[in-house]
Amino acid sequence: MNRSRRRNCNTVNAASLARWIVMTAFLALAGLAYVYLTLQLYHLGERRKAVENELVKLRTQNDEAAGQIAALTSRTALQRQLKQGYLKMIPVSDSKIVRLTIPARSTDEEAIQPVVNPLPQHESK
Amino acid sequence: MNPSSRTRCTLVCAAFIGLFSIFSFRLIYLQAIKHDEYAGLAAETHVHQQVIHAERGMILDANKEVLAHNIPVETVVADATHLSDLHATVEALNTELDVPSEEVSEKLSSGRRYIVIKREVAPARANALRQKLQDSKLRGIYFEHDATRIYPNGAMLCHVIGFTDFDHHGVQGVEASMEEYLHGQDGYRFIEQNRAGKEIVPYRGQERASRDGYQVHLTVDLGLQSIVEDEIDAAMKEYSPQKATIILMRPQTGEIMAMANRPNFDLNLRSEAKPEQMKNRAIIDMMEPGSTFKIVAAASALNERKLRLDSQLFCENGLWNYGGSALHDHRAFGYLSVRDILIKSSNIGAAKLAMSIGDQKFYEYIRRFGFGERTGIELPGEINGVIRPPQTWSKISITRIPMGHEVGVTPLQMATAMATIANSGKLVTPRIIKSVTASDGKTVSSGSPVVLRQVISPETAKQIGEALRGVVSDQGTAAAAAVPGFIIAGKTGTAQKVNPHGGYDHGKYVVSFVGYLPADHPEFVGLVVLDDAHTSKPELNYGGLVAGPIFSRVAEKAARYLDLEPHEEIRKAIPVQRVEKPKPAERLRKVPAERVALTDGSRR
Repeated sequence: MNRSRRRNCNTVNAASLARWIVMTAFLALAGLAYVYLTLQLYHLGERRKAVENELVKLRTQNDEAAGQIAALTSRTALQRQLKQGYLKMIPVSDSKIVRLTIPARSTDEEAIQPVVNPLPQHESK
Repeated sequence: MNPSSRTRCTLVCAAFIGLFSIFSFRLIYLQAIKHDEYAGLAAETHVHQQVIHAERGMILDANKEVLAHNIPVETVVADATHLSDLHATVEALNTELDVPSEEVSEKLSSGRRYIVIKREVAPARANALRQKLQDSKLRGIYFEHDATRIYPNGAMLCHVIGFTDFDHHGVQGVEASMEEYLHGQDGYRFIEQNRAGKEIVPYRGQERASRDGYQVHLTVDLGLQSIVEDEIDAAMKEYSPQKATIILMRPQTGEIMAMANRPNFDLNLRSEAKPEQMKNRAIIDMMEPGSTFKIVAAASALNERKLRLDSQLFCENGLWNYGGSALHDHRAFGYLSVRDILIKSSNIGAAKLAMSIGDQKFYEYIRRFGFGERTGIELPGEINGVIRPPQTWSKISITRIPMGHEVGVTPLQMATAMATIANSGKLVTPRIIKSVTASDGKTVSSGSPVVLRQVISPETAKQIGEALRGVVSDQGTAAAAAVPGFIIAGKTGTAQKVNPHGGYDHGKYVVSFVGYLPADHPEFVGLVVLDDAHTSKPELNYGGLVAGPIFSRVAEKAARYLDLEPHEEIRKAIPVQRVEKPKPAERLRKVPAERVALTDGSRR
């Protein structure tokens, strides 16, 4: 009786079962890892895009600022501000300007003479 | 299992095998045979080539002051196939971009995949629209990074800088001539988008980075340009000429230090400018140079050793009938030396100078001075001028050409010819590009002076220079062109204006002055040309009286700006009062304004 029962019962092959469990678990983990890594890839892609956008934004702001600096410091802008009185520049007083006198003239009337323009009339303070 | 059952089973199996075989074949057909075609179709739908725009290079002056740069803007575009809510999208665009609803609605209803809604949208406005679209979950509107060209100095140096068109391609000036360097190279990136039009970053394909345009440095100094612009504006106000040009050029290198023309226009408002305002008169306008051309006749006669500077020529007492036509001088001159012919600007004397060497030789010298061909400056649209060959000359041409009639030259050609005299007879190509650098400062290309030829010997150039000093003297025609403290050399020109329909316009003149300073070691050549200046009295409309004083003012300010030392003889004549140098400790306590090295006691 016992002998026939033993013959009819299936014995569980522990080693085989363990092997299958390990393989299944490995496959499941591999699948999960694949899904996780794929999601990470997308996530990092999104982050990369966000960083790129941020970089573009910063570069745009930088270019805008550079443009404003160029516009505000341009010669034309400064001259305009000077005319409008936003910039105060004190004119050099007459006594501080080096004036060159008319050179001594040759007595010979026919000689070529370097001439000097009449000096401009400066308003002295 | 009975036979009929087995048969049925076989039939069902065969049917399944057949069915799956068909599916398999179809699958192979689609996946393998038609792969490229369908992959292409899929790519067309999802994969796009995204252009990475290169930034146009800046234009800077000799001291790295910015003349042209870019400001970022955005272009708002739409893909009509991606639109989720047409009405709401139109409403958002209308509110944020101020574009008419009907216009946008019509554009979006076209069903096209690329519709430009508005260009040059400021980043702040674009961001506001982007936020609004996100909040309303509206799809189909995209933003493209773009840039607009800005010229911080407005109208200053407008003809030299030029401008760009709608597609950022140079149209005029340096923008056009240096297009190859300024434009840069766009990059690209293949991207895939999902149904919402959002990029799927991991699926990015091939990518090539953009290369920004190079920076172009001009030889023009904005400080000098500012002086020239102020003086040309003053001249326009005072004389109301039809056109005016001032050029400053370094004779040894051919570098253009300043170049201004009137009428002009604001580069930032170029769409409002008229064609007449956009012409760079210095290189595209032809004029009869008048007496300034006498330097060519005198130089050629002296260089051929037919005459010496002191050789006397009879100037026919002011009236000479030659070839059946009368040639006049503005005053009755008897015998004049070659020097005096230039100083007093005798037409008859100049004609006799040219006749001393003959038609062919004189023509060769005219060409050797660079007339009749482009100077080669890096600006677009330059003309050759008109110098007819001797075969086509009339009998009186040899008497008229030396006084600057029957020839057409550009102001730049005239300035270059005078630079040749100032540069010991060497003709140097004028240039306006100093260098080209990459954005990291590395030099890509650097301009160097190009000596085209030795036109006249250094001795002849020196002799002409000496004679030209006399022009700016009490006895010359341009006493008003003198600059305090400096000896200058120059020549005046007063030419009757040519009528486009033939002949000359009575009472209309092109007055000019071209000279250099200091005469013994020239730092710059200056040319002033006023076309149809209006003076209070007609007899005042002469080069020496109109263009001469303008040159004087420009040259005086330029000499001060360039910190040129006054002429030694003149300097010696000034009573110099030495200022005791304080010790370093005292110097710190002193007010800087008190430090004056030279003072003139007579002016106190």
